[in-house]
Amino acid sequence: MDLIDRYLHAVRWALPAAKADDIIAELRDDLVTRKEDREEALGRPLAKDEVSALLKEFGHPLIVAARYRPQQWLIGPDVFPFYLFVMRIMVLIIVGIDVAVGVARAVFSDQAPLQVLAQTWGSVWMSLLINLAIVTLVFAVMERSGFPAEHLRKWRPEQLPDIRDKRKSQWESMFEIAAGLVFILWWTGVIQFPFRSAGPDFRIEPAPVIFQLYWPILAVTAARLVQNLIEWLRPRWKAVRGALAVLTTVAGLGVLALIYQAGHWATIVSTGMPADKVAELDKALNLGLKIAIIVVGVIWVFQCLQVLWQLVRERRG
Amino acid sequence: MPIEEDLFEKLRVELRRGSLILAVLGALRVERYGYTLRQSLEEAGLPIDEGALYPLLRRLEAQGLLTSEWREEAKRNKRFYRLSHEGEEVLAQLLGEWNAISESILRLTERDK
Repeated sequence: MDLIDRYLHAVRWALPAAKADDIIAELRDDLVTRKEDREEALGRPLAKDEVSALLKEFGHPLIVAARYRPQQWLIGPDVFPFYLFVMRIMVLIIVGIDVAVGVARAVFSDQAPLQVLAQTWGSVWMSLLINLAIVTLVFAVMERSGFPAEHLRKWRPEQLPDIRDKRKSQWESMFEIAAGLVFILWWTGVIQFPFRSAGPDFRIEPAPVIFQLYWPILAVTAARLVQNLIEWLRPRWKAVRGALAVLTTVAGLGVLALIYQAGHWATIVSTGMPADKVAELDKALNLGLKIAIIVVGVIWVFQCLQVLWQLVRERRG
Repeated sequence: MPIEEDLFEKLRVELRRGSLILAVLGALRVERYGYTLRQSLEEAGLPIDEGALYPLLRRLEAQGLLTSEWREEAKRNKRFYRLSHEGEEVLAQLLGEWNAISESILRLTERDK
């Protein structure tokens, strides 16, 4: 087969089928005319390598064919900044969740730290690859649907975050969001950690109050997750931020108070441990939990006051 | 290739890319087929990448700025292009814009002359 035919066959393969015949006919005429012109100038037929050079000048078949397609890129320059923005947020969320899960595994499970590290590392990459593919696909579809023309028409500079909005660092926000997500997923049984809830001669059982407050705890955690997301992504929603800060703190303190009143939050059950040691361990564990409950309560009050103070300052300013 | 030349080449290609449409529209006030159009552009000092010319012609035709027809010449079928009525109007507007840009650039760079 003639080299020009082979070249045109390769171009045709990548062309839109409906226009292929017409385009190939035009390209063939151009290439043949060009070849004849050179032959006339040289006074002899072109050698194979000269035809090859002529075709190379014309361009790679895939590039030549691609120029006939209306879509020249997967994600164009108008969409790319939005793609990059979403990608950065997505990477932060994924890394945050996987690191939080990894830390929980390292602290609470029997797995060796190196094993946890390897698992977390693998999990981060797998999650990143899958989500990068999904986000890229979504934005490729958006590119074809005409985004971001409508968004650019509607946006207003007033929607931009206030410079005085003292926002948390991205990592702080991401850690809180990821920790909230992981807790909800664990609390609802979607994910499980191989917790070290037992020793060689004892096991730990949560007190009934924890099960009785299943829904309130879930509701408060979900509300705090929403609050953290709004704090991070929509700092201009001041009224919502203030209301959520007060609401989650009051509800959270209420739930904490109910838990605190129980006075006993976990029980050490002996599976061979002497009774005096069981009592000692039980006392130490519950003292630790008591301190943790108080610390969480104080932190929540402090965070709520911080948000409210910030909002008052912004209103005055 | 030294960095400066590489950079200059990129900027030059960018600068010429926009002007090629104007050149193609201008050249097609006279009916031509692809090969002769490319030759006339080259003779005028505006060579165009071979693989880019035909897709550009198709795009301009789809936009209504060119018309085309297949006709036999020198015992071969060739696709002839020429400027449409709408294309003439757009060309006039683009030429006005081109001249305005040229004057602005000259004014801005006067002291460099």
